[in-house]
Amino acid sequence: MSESFEKHAVLVVETSEEYLCSSAETLLEGMVRLGRKCIPIGCVNGGCGVCKVAIVKGHVRKCGPMSRVHVSEEEESQGFLLACRAMPMSKVELKIIGKMKKIIW
Amino acid sequence: MGVMRIGHISIKVMDMAEALKHYENVIGMKVTHTDADGNVYLKCWDEWDKYSVILTPSNQAGFNHVAYKVTDDFALVRLTQKVRDYGIQVEELPAGSLPDCGRMVKFNMPSGHEMRLFAEKDILGTDVGCTNPDPWPDDIRGAGAHWLDHCLLVCEMDPERGVNTLVDNKHFFIKALNFFETEQVVVGPNGSIQIASFLSHSSKPHDIAFVVGPTSGLHHLSFFLDSWHDILKAADVMAKNRTRIDVSPTRHGITRGETIYFFDPSGNRNETFAGLGYQAQRDKPLITWTEDQIGRAIFYHTGVLVESFTTVYT
Repeated sequence: MSESFEKHAVLVVETSEEYLCSSAETLLEGMVRLGRKCIPIGCVNGGCGVCKVAIVKGHVRKCGPMSRVHVSEEEESQGFLLACRAMPMSKVELKIIGKMKKIIW
Repeated sequence: MGVMRIGHISIKVMDMAEALKHYENVIGMKVTHTDADGNVYLKCWDEWDKYSVILTPSNQAGFNHVAYKVTDDFALVRLTQKVRDYGIQVEELPAGSLPDCGRMVKFNMPSGHEMRLFAEKDILGTDVGCTNPDPWPDDIRGAGAHWLDHCLLVCEMDPERGVNTLVDNKHFFIKALNFFETEQVVVGPNGSIQIASFLSHSSKPHDIAFVVGPTSGLHHLSFFLDSWHDILKAADVMAKNRTRIDVSPTRHGITRGETIYFFDPSGNRNETFAGLGYQAQRDKPLITWTEDQIGRAIFYHTGVLVESFTTVYT
């Protein structure tokens, strides 16, 4: 990761956990790379929906398609998105919407 | 006479260009056809039929249908009747409803997954041909997967409503399609709830598998590799391509498979899987994995479940 990119603080409101994420990687990738787990980690590719968050403060840049099963256009316009599909452009505060369901076994 | 193998799987992708980079450069498939609707058809180097994966452009990830190839049209007629006799509605699709594919019959499994059977598809041949073939072609890319091996489907279960479509699917596959069960995972009092079933119609430990979940979906599609070393190399290929790996190289207790799980760029889980494990036979006693050993059943070395593996699917 190039140092020329800015790093921004990402705060998870529910747990007050905070980490630094480069503006060149997604909110989820930045967290995963640090070995942190404050946002649920799934496919990291926009398809499974477990990393759904609501941005409550700050700006992000969206990147790549998000499954419309998990984030509708209306929800997206209200600030819901998948953390694996948004890069921080400023300090970001977010709430966790998605969750790991204890489902298969 | 009957089902031979998984013929193809059709899945949704959200960015076709990214999907093709993945299935060509990481899995090592080749595009053999693109239709007017933008659906892309691919095959592995060791497969002879024209395609085994269909990628369809969509605004979501997930499963469209899975198709199994049967020996001949006589088997198709006979199996169609058996599916109807089981009480499942069948739609007959004419030849060419999918490109270069003969007539198909289409129906839904009890879990709701669309399934098709067909007897004929255009044959392109493997990349090494069938006259004095070399063991592998010179232009292998990425992991160089040999073939699409199987899929694992998530089947709706709701114990409060007494619904377990995994068990319904198992009975359907055994009674109507003549599969046999090789392994199962059971939980609950006296192991009374079945949560995974592995079914074969060949000498492989599984040709299809089912697990339970709150809604039906796709857990993964799996590609065959030859050896543990090929698994290591496949993981290197994934790292080079920044592929999101869900579970790095390890071994399953179930099927004894050597494995990597990873996600395509739309979040559909893939597996590269090596080792035929054991020879599955119809008279081989059923293998049962119990609730206290589920971790070991899935990830044999650590015996520890991986949260994303057991909770995330498309």
